[in-house]
Amino acid sequence: MIQAIDLSKRYEDGLLALDHLNLNINPGQIYCLLGANGAGKTTTINLFFNFIEPTGGTALLNGVDCTKRPLDAKRHAAYVSENVMLYGNFTARQNLDFFTKLAGRKDLKKEEYYMVMRQVGLPERAFEQRVKTFSKGMRQKLGIAIAMLKQAPALLLDEPTSGLDPKAAAEFVELLLTLKREGKAILMSTHDIFRAKEIADVVGIMKEGVLIMEKSRRELEAEDLEKLYLKYMEVS
Amino acid sequence: MLGPLIKKEILENIVSYRFPLFLVIVALLIPTSLYVNHLEYRKRVSDYSEQVRLADEALRSSRLIDIHMGSIPLKGFHPPAPLSVFAGGFENSLPRYYEFQPAGPKEGETSVGDESVLSILGKFDYLFIVQMVVSLVVLLFASNLVAGEKELGTLRGILSNSVARPTILLAKLIGGFVAVWLPFIIAFLLGMIVLSAGSFPLLTGANPLSVLLIFLATSLFILMYFTLGLLVSASTPRVGSAQVATLLIWIVLQLVIPKVSDMVAALAYPVKTETVVSLQKSMIVKTLEEERGKLLGREYERIFGRGAPLTTDPTPRPGLNEWNTIKSDADSRFRERKADQVRQVEDAHRREKHVQQTIAGTLSLLSPGAAFTRLITDICATGEIDNEKYRNAVSLHQQTLDAALFSHISKTTLIFPGGGSASSSSIGELIDLQNLPTFSVGRATLSEVLNGNWGSILSIIFWLLATFALAHVRFLKYDVR
Repeated sequence: MIQAIDLSKRYEDGLLALDHLNLNINPGQIYCLLGANGAGKTTTINLFFNFIEPTGGTALLNGVDCTKRPLDAKRHAAYVSENVMLYGNFTARQNLDFFTKLAGRKDLKKEEYYMVMRQVGLPERAFEQRVKTFSKGMRQKLGIAIAMLKQAPALLLDEPTSGLDPKAAAEFVELLLTLKREGKAILMSTHDIFRAKEIADVVGIMKEGVLIMEKSRRELEAEDLEKLYLKYMEVS
Repeated sequence: MLGPLIKKEILENIVSYRFPLFLVIVALLIPTSLYVNHLEYRKRVSDYSEQVRLADEALRSSRLIDIHMGSIPLKGFHPPAPLSVFAGGFENSLPRYYEFQPAGPKEGETSVGDESVLSILGKFDYLFIVQMVVSLVVLLFASNLVAGEKELGTLRGILSNSVARPTILLAKLIGGFVAVWLPFIIAFLLGMIVLSAGSFPLLTGANPLSVLLIFLATSLFILMYFTLGLLVSASTPRVGSAQVATLLIWIVLQLVIPKVSDMVAALAYPVKTETVVSLQKSMIVKTLEEERGKLLGREYERIFGRGAPLTTDPTPRPGLNEWNTIKSDADSRFRERKADQVRQVEDAHRREKHVQQTIAGTLSLLSPGAAFTRLITDICATGEIDNEKYRNAVSLHQQTLDAALFSHISKTTLIFPGGGSASSSSIGELIDLQNLPTFSVGRATLSEVLNGNWGSILSIIFWLLATFALAHVRFLKYDVR
C-alpha cells in the first residue's frame, strides 16, 4: 500500500536528505520510522505527498506513482503532521467540513461530523468551538478525525505524538490501533521508541537519509529497542 | 474542488481581522471624501454661477471702448465638473477663467490658493483613497495568502489532498478578492447614498454610466493589486518578507515611476515654459505692431504731409480714400500675419508638449497607479482630455471673438519716419455686446475617454494578467516544507 523503491532526495544545496530508501507497508500494518532530527523521516513523508519531488526512485501509494500522478496518489493517503494544520478561526466542524470536502466527500451531514469527533474522543463542547482555543492533543485528535473521514487506505503521520501529554499520547495510540484494525496501512515517523515498540509491526531506523535498520515486531521481541537505537545512532 | 476552496477563502477572510478592518477603512473614507468633495463642488458651482452672473452684468453695463481699453474684461469661465467629487484631477490647478482680449487670452486665477498647504500631499478624494490606501491595504492582505498559509501549515494540509496547485491559486484569487471587493462595494454604495442624499446629479446625463465605469475600473485596479500581492506571496517563504517586498513594490509602482517618468520626459525632450512662449507671442505682436506703425506713419505722411494730425473724422478730404484703403489693407495683412505667427508658436509649443507628454505618459503606464489615475480623471472630466478641451475651447472662443468683436475695433498707431508717434482708436461697425457668443467648454464623451485611455486600460489588464501568470508559475514550484 505504501511503497518506496530506491527513493532518494538531494536538495538544491547538495544535501542528500534521503538515500535509496526501500520500504513496503501492507494494509493493517503500522511502520514506525525512528531517527534523529534531519535523518530523513519528514522528507520521506513529503515525497509521498509530492510536497517535494524526488531526485531518484519512486514513491507509490496503492501502486500509484506519487510523482507522476500526484493527484491520483493522494486520494489513497491521509496526512497527519506534528502540529496538525488547522484554521484557528474556524470551528472544529468547519475545519472537518473543509478538509473532507477537499478529500472529495461532499455529502456529509453535521451529525456525521459529530460522530467522528466523538469517536476520536473530542469533547462535545469542542465541536462548535474555534480551533485556536484547542490544546495540542485536541488538534491532533481533530487531525485524525479529518484523516478518518477521508477514508483513505493509507495514513502517513509525521511525529504525531510529539509534544502530547502521556494521556493524550495514549489515546492517540489507541486511535491508531483502531485504524490498523480497520485495515489501514500506517507510516509513522516518531522519536518515541517506547510507543513505536508498543504499536509497530515494523520499525525502521534512519540516519542521515539512509534506512540503517529494519526489524519486524517478532524480531524485536527479544531485543531492547532503545539500546538498539542508541547503538545504531553511535555507529558512524 | 474550487467551490470549497473559494468558500474557505471567503470565510477565512471574513472571520479574520482583515474583512472588518478593510470594511471600516473604506466605509469610513470613501463616503466621507465624497461628502466633503460634494460640499466643495456645490460651493464651486455657486461661485461659478455668481461669477458668470457678475460678468454678464458687467458686460451689459459696459461700452465697447471699455472692453477695448481692458477695463471690462471678457471672461470665459470653466464650469466645475460634477464628477470632480470623485477625482479632483486638474480641476483646481486649471485657471478658473480666461480673459479674452484683442492681444489674446489671458489666464485667470486658479483654485489652488484656496486650499491648505497639506493639499500638496494630494487631494483627499476617492482617487487618492483608492490609489494610496486601498491599493496598499489590498496588497498587504494578498501578500499573506500563500506565505501565511505556509507559515500556518494549512497549505500542506490542503496539498495532502488531490487538489491541483492552480486550483488552489485560483481559489485564493477569487475568494480573497471577493473578501476585499465586498467591503469596497458596500463603501461605494454608501458613497452613492451620501451623494444622492446631498442632491448630487448622480442620474443626470452620462453620470450613471461614468459612475459605473469608475466602479468597474476601480474593481479591476483592486483585482490587479490583489493579484500582485498574490504573486509576491507565492514568491516568498514568509509573511514578513512578503510584506516588506509588497511595500517596496508599492512604493516603486505608486510613487516612484509616475514621478520619474515626468522627469525622464523633461530631460529627454525639454520644452519651453509657458512664460517663454507667452513672451515670444508678445514679442511677435510688438514687432508686428511696430512694423505696421512705421508703414502707416510713412504712408500717412506721404498722403497728408508731415505734421498732419491723426484724426478718425470721416469727413471727405483729399487722400482720405487712399488712406482708408492702405490702412484697411495693412490692418488686415498684419492681423493675418499676427494670427499666423502666433499660431505657429502655439502649434510648435503644443506639438513639443504633446511629444513630452506622450513620453511621460507612456513611461508612466509602467505604473498601474498612473494608468488608473489617467483613466479615472478622464472619466471624471478632470483629466488630460478635458484639460485639452478647455484650452482648445479658449483658443476657439478667442478666434470667435477676434472675428465677431476684436476685428471691428481698430487701434491705429503711427510711427513717423522723422520720429514721434500718434495713435487713435475706431470702431468699424456697431456691435451688440449682448449678442456676443458665450464661452462654453464641452465635456469629453465616454467614447472619447475610452478611446483616449486604451493605453491605461491595457496597462492595468497587462499587469493583472502578467502577475497572475507569474504567480501561477511561482506557485507551481512553491516550497511548502
